[in-house]
Amino acid sequence: MALVELRGVTKRFSKGDEVITPLDQVDLDIEAGEFLSLMGPSGTGKSTLLNLVSGIDRPEAGTIVVDGTEVTGLSRSKLADWRAVNLGYIFQTHNLLPVLTAYENVELPTLLLKLSSTQRRQRVELALEAVGLSDRAHYYPRQLSGGQEQRVGIARAIVAHPKVVVADEPTGSLDVETSAQIQILLQRLNTELNITMLMVTHDRDVASAASRRLTLDRGKFLTAAETVTAG
Amino acid sequence: MVHLVLYFKELIDNMTTYVLKTLWRHRTRTLLTVTGAAVAMFVFCFVSSVQAGLQRLTAGADANQTLIVFQENRFCPTTSRLPEDYARQIQKVPGVRDVMPIQVWTNNCRASLDIVVFNGAAPEMIQNTRPLKLIDGDWQAFTAQRDAAIIGRNVAQRRGLAAGDTFSIGELSVQIAGVFSSSIPSEENLIYTSLEYLQYAPGLDAAGVVTQHEVRLESDVDPDRVAKEIDQVLRAGAVATKTRRKGAFQANTLSDLIDLIRFAHWLGYACVGLVLSLVATTTVMSVQDRIKEYAVLQTIGLRPLRTMRLVLAESLLLCVTGGVVGTGLALLALAWGGFAIGAEGATIAFRPSLELAFSGTLVSLVVGIVAGMAPAIQAATVPLVDALRDA
Repeated sequence: MALVELRGVTKRFSKGDEVITPLDQVDLDIEAGEFLSLMGPSGTGKSTLLNLVSGIDRPEAGTIVVDGTEVTGLSRSKLADWRAVNLGYIFQTHNLLPVLTAYENVELPTLLLKLSSTQRRQRVELALEAVGLSDRAHYYPRQLSGGQEQRVGIARAIVAHPKVVVADEPTGSLDVETSAQIQILLQRLNTELNITMLMVTHDRDVASAASRRLTLDRGKFLTAAETVTAG
Repeated sequence: MVHLVLYFKELIDNMTTYVLKTLWRHRTRTLLTVTGAAVAMFVFCFVSSVQAGLQRLTAGADANQTLIVFQENRFCPTTSRLPEDYARQIQKVPGVRDVMPIQVWTNNCRASLDIVVFNGAAPEMIQNTRPLKLIDGDWQAFTAQRDAAIIGRNVAQRRGLAAGDTFSIGELSVQIAGVFSSSIPSEENLIYTSLEYLQYAPGLDAAGVVTQHEVRLESDVDPDRVAKEIDQVLRAGAVATKTRRKGAFQANTLSDLIDLIRFAHWLGYACVGLVLSLVATTTVMSVQDRIKEYAVLQTIGLRPLRTMRLVLAESLLLCVTGGVVGTGLALLALAWGGFAIGAEGATIAFRPSLELAFSGTLVSLVVGIVAGMAPAIQAATVPLVDALRDA
C-alpha cells in the first residue's frame, strides 16, 4: 500500500463566470521513501495538488489518504494536529518568522508535539546540523542569506520527523549555485533519512534530484511520451 | 496573581517567546498602546474611587443607624444653630442610645477639593463614638487642652501637618495633639476639637449653640420612626429641626456633587471604551500585518484555537500591562494625595482599596479578551492557501 494515495481528486475554482479545474479526477500513489517531483507549466495545478496533500486546501471530489488517514475527511483542527505529526512543508519564500532566531524557527513544530525540552533541543540541533547551519542557530532570518534561510526552512520541515515532506518550488527564489546546493541537500535527506518527498518545481535540474518525475498539464498527469513531447 | 500567571501560561503554551518578541518588534506601537491603556485605566480607577467614596458615605451601617438633627430648612453648617440642651430632650426619646452635640465649622460651604472641616464635640464622646486610631500624638494632650485638635491623616497629608504643629485658618488656631486614621475614610478629612473651643472661638458667637446633634440608636429600632419622634419632641423648642438618617443627610448635603459624580461615572465607562478601541485597533493592525505568519503557523500544525489564543495573549498582555500600571499609579496617587471633595461640611474621601485594584485588573482582563476576539477569529479562520499566496 502506498504511503500517499490520491483517488479521483478534483479541484475547481471560480473566477468570475469562468470555472477553472486545475485538477481533474487525478489518481496518484507515492511510496514510502520515494522522492517525487512534479513539473508542468504555471497554473496547471502543481501547487494545488501539494496543498491538497498537505491538508491546507480541500478537493471538490476524491479522496486523499496518507499513511492510512483520509485527510479529506478531517476537520480544520484535526488537520492541524495531523500536519504537526505527519507533514513537513517547505515554502518557496522560506516563510521564517522574522522575530525568531533560526533555532527558534526550527523549534516551532516541536513545540506542538509532546516532547521534553531535552528532546526538543536534541531534535533542533540535529535538524540544524543536517542542513549545515549549527553555527547560525542564533542568527535572525534578516542576518542569513537566501540559501541559508531556505535551509532553515528545510530544517523546520524535517525537525518533527514527519512521514511526508512537501516542497513548493524550494529553489524558486534562489540563484543557480544555491539551488544546486538545496537540490543536493533534499536528495541527501531523502536517501539518508528515508524521508518521503513531494516537490513542485519548474527547474529541470532540481527535478532531476527526484527518484520519480511527473508532469501535470491541464489537470492531468502526462504520460512519459506526452512529457517528452511537452518538453 | 498565581492563577493569573498560570492562566497566561496555559493561554500561550510554549509560544511565549513568539508573543513577547512580536510585541517587542513593534515596541513603539506596543508602548503607545500600553501607555494609552494605562492613562485610561488611571482615570477609570480615579472615578471609581470617587464613586466608592460616595457609596461609603451614604450607604454604610453608620449612615443608617445614626441620625443627624439639623435646623429645619438650613443647609450650610454656619447657618444651623440649635440649642445645645436639645441633647437632653433627644436622649429621652425611646430607642436613642446617646447624643453628641457637634459644632461644625468649615472654610467653604461650596464644593471644594481642599475643604477644611472642624467638628467640635466632647473629647470623650469622640473617643467613644468614632472608629479613630491615633497614628501620631496622644489623646491625653487632646483632652487636656481646650484649643487642642486631632486631625485626620488626609488633612495632615494635604496640609503637611504633624502632632505638635499649630494650625491656623480664619479666626481659628489650634494646637495639633495628634493625627488619626479611621476605618471610615471620610473621617480622615476632619479636624476634631473640643466643643467649647468652637463655641467660644473669636467671631463664631456660638455659646450654648451647636450646629447639629448626632444621635446613635439602639440596634433594633426603626431610624425613621425615631427621627419623626425627635422632630415632634423638639417642635415646642425655640428652633425647628429636621432629623434624618446620617446617610440621607449627607446625600442631601452633597446632592449637587452627587449629580456630578454620577455623570463622572460615565466618564469612567468611556475610558474603558477607549482602552477597548485602542487595544482592538492595535491588535487588528498587528494581525493584518502578520496574517501570513499565522497561516504559516497553522500550516506547520498550530490549531486554529491555539492561533486564537496567541492573538488573545497579545491583546491581553497589552491591556493587562497598561491596566495594571494605570491602576497601580491611581492607587499610589490616591494613597499619597489624600484627595477629598466636599461641600457644606460633608466630605467624600478618595481612597485606594483592594476592591479598586481587583476591579481595575478585572476590567483590563475582560477588555483585553474582548478587544482581541475579532482579530483572533480572523487569524484562526484565515484561508491558508490565500494567505500564503497573497501576503
